[in-house]
Amino acid sequence: MSVFHALSELLQKSGFLSLGWQNWVMIAVSFVLLYLAIVKKFEPLLLLPIAFGMLLVNVYPDIMADPLMLSSYEGEVVEGAHWYDTGVLRLIYSGVKSSIFPCLIFLAVGAMTDFGPLLANPSSLLLGAAAQLGIYVAFIIAVCSDMIPGFEGFTAREAASIAIIGGADGPTAIYLTSKLAPHLLGPIAVAAYSYMALIPLIQPPIMRLLTTKKEREIKMEQLRKVSKAEKIIFPIVVTVLCILFLPSVAPLLGMLMLGNLLRESGVTDRLSDTAQNSLCNIVTILLGVSVGATAEGKTFLDFKTLLIIAIGLLAFAFSTAGGVLFAKLLNLVTRGKINPLIGSAGVSAVPMAARVSQVEGRKYNATNFLLMHAMGPNVAGVIGSAVAAGYLLMLFE
Amino acid sequence: MDLSVLAAESGMSAGEAFSISSTGMIVVLIVLIVLAVLVLLISKGVRAAQGKGKQTEEAVAAAPSASAAQSAAPAPAVPVVNGAPLPENQSAGQLELYDCDEKSAAVIMAIISNESGIPLNHLEFKSIKAIEE
Repeated sequence: MSVFHALSELLQKSGFLSLGWQNWVMIAVSFVLLYLAIVKKFEPLLLLPIAFGMLLVNVYPDIMADPLMLSSYEGEVVEGAHWYDTGVLRLIYSGVKSSIFPCLIFLAVGAMTDFGPLLANPSSLLLGAAAQLGIYVAFIIAVCSDMIPGFEGFTAREAASIAIIGGADGPTAIYLTSKLAPHLLGPIAVAAYSYMALIPLIQPPIMRLLTTKKEREIKMEQLRKVSKAEKIIFPIVVTVLCILFLPSVAPLLGMLMLGNLLRESGVTDRLSDTAQNSLCNIVTILLGVSVGATAEGKTFLDFKTLLIIAIGLLAFAFSTAGGVLFAKLLNLVTRGKINPLIGSAGVSAVPMAARVSQVEGRKYNATNFLLMHAMGPNVAGVIGSAVAAGYLLMLFE
Repeated sequence: MDLSVLAAESGMSAGEAFSISSTGMIVVLIVLIVLAVLVLLISKGVRAAQGKGKQTEEAVAAAPSASAAQSAAPAPAVPVVNGAPLPENQSAGQLELYDCDEKSAAVIMAIISNESGIPLNHLEFKSIKAIEE
C-alpha cells in the first residue's frame, strides 16, 4: 500500500468528505451558541451542553447512531446489531425519550424553588396563567400553517407539541412532545431550550415596547413573610388539586411538588441538597448534550424544523406579551402598585425570566428590587405551563 | 365532534383551533384562580392558628414575668462612640465588604433602615457580599 493510497483512504474516511453542507451549517450554529454561552453568558449551564451536543453530532453523526431504531424515525434496523452498538448519545437520549430526565429536572426545580413570593402575593398566579397566551397563539398558527403553499401543515398533535414551546418550560415541552409527536422531539427540545437560554435577548425589547417609562419605574411594596406551615401545605394542595383536575400532568407536577416538599419540610435536608445540586447538575449535562445532539444537520435542517423554530419564537413573544399586558391590567386595578415588568416572568423559565425583570427594572430605577416580586409569577408559570400541557394531553393523547 | 377523533385527523380548521385555544386559556386561568383562592384560604387559616397560638403563649409568659419587667431597663442599648451616644442616622463598628464598594454599602444600609423603620444605630451589619448575576 503506497503512502498516497493510505492518505487517500484517510481522507475518504475522515469527516471532511462525509459531512454534508447541512452539518457545516449546524457546526456554525453551534459555534454561535457556544459564543453566546461562554462570552455573553446567556444561561451557560443550559446553552453550553446543548451547543456542544450539536457540535458533536454534526462532526461525528454516528454518535447518535440507532441501529435498532430505538428512537429514530428514519432508516431501518441493522441486522445483527446489539444495543451496545447504539451511539453513546443515543443511549443517553433514551432518558429524554422516556421522560425520565424531564421529571428529574422538575424534582430539582421543585427543590430549588421558593414558593414564598407566590404565597405572599397569590395574584402572581394570574400572571403565570396570562403568560401561557403564547401556547395557544402558537397552536392556532401551527394549525393554520397548511395555508403555506406546498406545505402539508401540522397535525393537531404536532401543533399542540409545537405550541408548548410558548410555555418556556423545557421539561414540559419534552414531556408533552414525547407523548404526542415523538418524531418532533429533537427540533422542539432544541427550540425550547435555546429560547429559554436566549430569554435575556428575546424578552427585553417586548417588555420595553409594551410598557411606559413611568410603569417601568414603579417600585413595589415589600412582600409579607410567609410561614413555614404555609410553605409545607402548598405543595400538597397543588398536587391534589392540579392532578385531580388534569391527571395527565401527575408525573411532572408530582415530581415538582415532591422536590419542593423535600426542601420545605425541613426533615430531608440531605435529599433536598442532592436534588438541588448533584442530581440537577448530572441530569442537566445529560439532558443538554443529548438534546443538542438531536440537531444533526441532514435531518434537522428542513422546512418543518425551521417553521417549528419560527413558531416557537412567536410563542415566546406572545407569552411574554400576555404576561406584561396582564400585569399592566393589574397595575391599573391596583392603582399603580404592580410594575408590569414582572409580568414577563410569568413564562416559566425559572429563574431566567425573573432575573430579566430584575435587570430591566433596575435600568429605570436603580433602587428597585423586582426579583422577589417576579419570582411569584415565574414559579406560577411553571404550574401554568404544566396545566396547559395537561389540557393538551387530555385532548390529544 | 369527538375531540379524540379530531386529534387523530391530520388537519383542523382555524375555527376549531381557536375554540380549543380559548378553552385552554380559560382552563389554565380557572385552575390558577382556584389555586390562588386556596392559597389565600391557607394563609388566613395558618395565620389565624398561629395568632391564637401566640396569644396563648403570651398570656402564659406574661403572668410570671410581670414583676421582673418592672425592674428591667426599658430603653434598648444605643452604641456609645467617644463617650457620646451614636446619632440615629449613623452606624459604627467593623463591616466586611466583598465585591461591594463603600458607597453601595452605605446605600444598602440606608435602604434597609428606611424599609424596616429601624434607626441605623440599632442595626448591626456584619458583611455585605455582591452576588454574581
